[in-house]
Amino acid sequence: MNVRKNLAAILAAAAAAVLPAQATAQQEIKVGGIFDLTGVTSDVGKPFAQGVQDCVAVTNDAGGINGKKIKLLGADYAYKIDQARALYKKLVNDDKVVMIQGWGTGDTEALKDFVGQDKIPYFSGSFAAPLSDPSKFPYNFFVAPTYSEQLRSWLDWVKQDYAKSGGKGKPKVAFMFGDNAYGKAPIAAGKKYGAEIGVDVVDEAVLPPNFQDATSQLLTMKQKGVEYAYINVTTTGVSLVLRDAKKLGLTVKFGSNPYGFSESLVAVAGPLAEGVTGVVPHVPFGTPVPGMAVLEAAHQKYHPTDKHDAMYVRGWATCLVWVEGLRGAEKAGQLNGPGVKAAIEKLADFSTGGLAQSVTYTPTDHRPTMTTSIYQIQGGKLVKIGDYIMPRTKEWFGL
Amino acid sequence: MEFFLQLLLNGIVVGSIYSLVGLGFVVIYKSTSVLNFAQGEFLVLGAYICLTLTVQYQVPFFWAFLLTLVFSALMGILTERLILRPMIGEPVISLIMVTLGLSSLLKAIIQGIWGTELRPFPDIFPAEPVRIGPLPVSQGYLISLGSVAVLLVIFTLFFKFTRSGVAMRATAFSQQVSLSMGISVKRIFALAWSIAAVVSAIGGVLLAGIRGGLDGAMAFFGLKVIPVVILGGLDSIAGAIVGGPIMGILENLAGGYLDPLVGGGAKEVAPFVILVLILTIKPYGLFGKIKIERV
Amino acid sequence: MRCGDFRQTYADDMSLFESPLPRVLLAGFLVFLLVLPQFATTYWLDVLNRICIAIVGAVGLNVVTGYTGLISLGTAAFLAVGGFATAAMAGKAGLPFVIVIPLSGLLTAMVGLVFGIPSLRLKGLYLAVATLAAHYIVEFTVTHWDSMTGGVNGISIPPAHFAGLQLSDDRKMFYLIFPVTVGLLFFTKNLFRTKVGKAFVAIRDQDISAEVMGVNVFRYKLLSFAVSSFIVGVAGSLLAYQARIISPENFPITLAIDYLGMVIIGGLGSILGSIFGAIFITLLPEMLRLATDSMSNYWPGLMVIVAPIKMGVFGLVVILFLIFEPDGMAARWNHIKAYWKLYPFSY
Repeated sequence: MNVRKNLAAILAAAAAAVLPAQATAQQEIKVGGIFDLTGVTSDVGKPFAQGVQDCVAVTNDAGGINGKKIKLLGADYAYKIDQARALYKKLVNDDKVVMIQGWGTGDTEALKDFVGQDKIPYFSGSFAAPLSDPSKFPYNFFVAPTYSEQLRSWLDWVKQDYAKSGGKGKPKVAFMFGDNAYGKAPIAAGKKYGAEIGVDVVDEAVLPPNFQDATSQLLTMKQKGVEYAYINVTTTGVSLVLRDAKKLGLTVKFGSNPYGFSESLVAVAGPLAEGVTGVVPHVPFGTPVPGMAVLEAAHQKYHPTDKHDAMYVRGWATCLVWVEGLRGAEKAGQLNGPGVKAAIEKLADFSTGGLAQSVTYTPTDHRPTMTTSIYQIQGGKLVKIGDYIMPRTKEWFGL
Repeated sequence: MEFFLQLLLNGIVVGSIYSLVGLGFVVIYKSTSVLNFAQGEFLVLGAYICLTLTVQYQVPFFWAFLLTLVFSALMGILTERLILRPMIGEPVISLIMVTLGLSSLLKAIIQGIWGTELRPFPDIFPAEPVRIGPLPVSQGYLISLGSVAVLLVIFTLFFKFTRSGVAMRATAFSQQVSLSMGISVKRIFALAWSIAAVVSAIGGVLLAGIRGGLDGAMAFFGLKVIPVVILGGLDSIAGAIVGGPIMGILENLAGGYLDPLVGGGAKEVAPFVILVLILTIKPYGLFGKIKIERV
Repeated sequence: MRCGDFRQTYADDMSLFESPLPRVLLAGFLVFLLVLPQFATTYWLDVLNRICIAIVGAVGLNVVTGYTGLISLGTAAFLAVGGFATAAMAGKAGLPFVIVIPLSGLLTAMVGLVFGIPSLRLKGLYLAVATLAAHYIVEFTVTHWDSMTGGVNGISIPPAHFAGLQLSDDRKMFYLIFPVTVGLLFFTKNLFRTKVGKAFVAIRDQDISAEVMGVNVFRYKLLSFAVSSFIVGVAGSLLAYQARIISPENFPITLAIDYLGMVIIGGLGSILGSIFGAIFITLLPEMLRLATDSMSNYWPGLMVIVAPIKMGVFGLVVILFLIFEPDGMAARWNHIKAYWKLYPFSY
């Protein structure tokens, strides 16, 4: 009978899954991985996961953590939140990982309370500001300025640029964002900061998920005389906005966030992307910084045919930080959640070899860095136009 | 006033893409009464094949496009032969579900072959807009509007004057009667699927050209167009063609006038509300065939 | 060995169990399930809980789609209504779960009633689009009603509690979710032995005849929507309690399609089918993940390559199932049962 054959196959697969887990050696450090390789954010989630994976492989090849190999138990959750939760429970309770490398807003937000209870350090690709407040979320980490700092820095650039180009009065700015947690994350902070520094936020436009055309939103912006706009969606969306803006003849100067602005924006939007500014917390792939050589070597070794961009660097840089945390925890003989957390919170001005800004964590402040690099697309290349340093103030903490 | 006209015009041209994709749904539904949930993947697959041919094999765009259409036709036939034909005679809802399975399978195949990253699509349309009076329109959308018009003519002629077209209409009317008249229903089904796949491939290439980049996420378009075909009437070619612009206009007007009032998001929801209102007045869509039920 | 039809009265014909044996077996099976959590790890408990929640949701959907013949794409929306109602009542008002769960169900039933109104005129796929509209309207409301739902950032739900009892982990949650599931299954099974349930089936089979026979079609269609969304709302409530944090991202349209898949693969108009379908759709990704995980253990770095295979296998299994068993898993189960019942004299 078919049914019985299927059952046998399933049982065999389950047995195969259980047996090697029991046979694992003692000299391993288990780290969980919750990635999106096939879901709605897989266009950026997959290179991120590959960056993490390659970084672990290179670390292990170089002797691991004091001779102990890192075992990355990664899996795909397809951006389905219930699957992320199941995966998390499996990693924490069955596999007993010491920490988890997570991914986007979906899984990070759904698990933020659990990681605190279970004392599992959780690194995310989501840079939402509330996660940087250890009094609320003591076990959440990420390796970039918060989304809010990014927008504040971009607004600083707007102010400078407006003055430089001889504008009078206040520059008029619009925010375009998706109706979801990632899209809305920095908006409130941006509005508040805009009011403080004299930038007029005149319009907020919502871009629906998977939109095809942004004409109506852009027409409204045109009516309000918007001069600068921050597009807080991913690359496809940014490219569509640029196309429609070109069609309508808008002269708005656009800016975008780390998931909308990367090498692939140049590839997709071509000449339309010229002059667009963006926040780049992790340098483009191939930037001549000291830490890049090892990435290029790994890239050649593991998957020379894949195209890689800043997302791959992002995964790698994030991994470098927690690998250092594991080292500290191992040295202290505390290879567990609280031990890793403590070790990470000792990192001061830790350099990722130029892949990202140097990061600092303390037990009371998880804002990794206050420096935001702003790049501009000039001649089809991402060119750095400045580092914007925000003060590490209390009132912006966690907002 | 210009604001309103621009919204209106934009709604019409964007809606033409909906119509184009909608035609694929209608052709299948009309002859086989299946709602094809894998339509979105057909779009993506067509676009990827065209992309591979032009970029990797350096085939000139025109020939690449033709080859894509040929390939799509074959794929339509294959789909029908392997997946739909064994299900002839099963309840309609199982047929619909099988297309959902097909959608997962195709998605996996697409990701397996082309990966998940966003790939730049060749610039088949110039970025410079065309001006109609004072109002700018993207060239990509204009071409889509043109293709819809051409397809409308082709389909009308096809269903009216060709042997296969008439046979398809007969099959839609009654499969049993057609069979007894010597029409091969299997062949008609295969024809319907391959036509739908070809139309989808045209839509996919146009969409990818307009978007400038291609990834699996474009498949959402299949789902997005379902309300359009329902608005027009599931079994009506004219319905799909009128339904697209109506949906496009509704979206744009909601986006232009309601979004600023409610803080955004109305562009997606408002058309659905109006759609339901329209449907309560015309329960089989604007041009759908009204079913007369006898007990 | 009973092999034949021994039913002599109508009551006999309508009985849930043909003979005492299934009754005993079922009781034994339920006891087994009640003891099971003591041996399961947290991960498997989570899976078990999600299966139960999926069963409740699928049964709810089956009431309206399988038994009354109205295709609904609004399941995710109704789950969201139940979930966010629970979040509001348990989180903001601090009510115990014995009140919250039924109230969430009732609230969802009311919402379901409203979105059932188009069924007055719409049928088939046209009605499906009205329920699709319901999905987007609910999603919009949930995303924008920040004060009540937490907006895009979602909302935390405290552990389910009642009279000093805190259901803070998956094992304890199971003893809430499981009885609710079993209770609703019996409720639904019995529903179709009553006048109301039979009216639903009559509408599905031929609505005009039903009208002629004195069934108020519109009233019963609305009632079907209400009952269905009540059950789905309860599933949403349990889901919220189990997830502890919910946001609009928990309820995408693909979830509604997954539920439709459960009902169709399991078998339309069959309670047993809903159970099979829910188990199948929930377990399949987990099984495939375990299988691919074990492969990645031998070849590290394979994870990225095999990820799409999971989705492909899912699609393939659905297709093959429908081709070879279009009436759903429940029908296959009955075949197997019949085969063994008469074994070895199956003719």
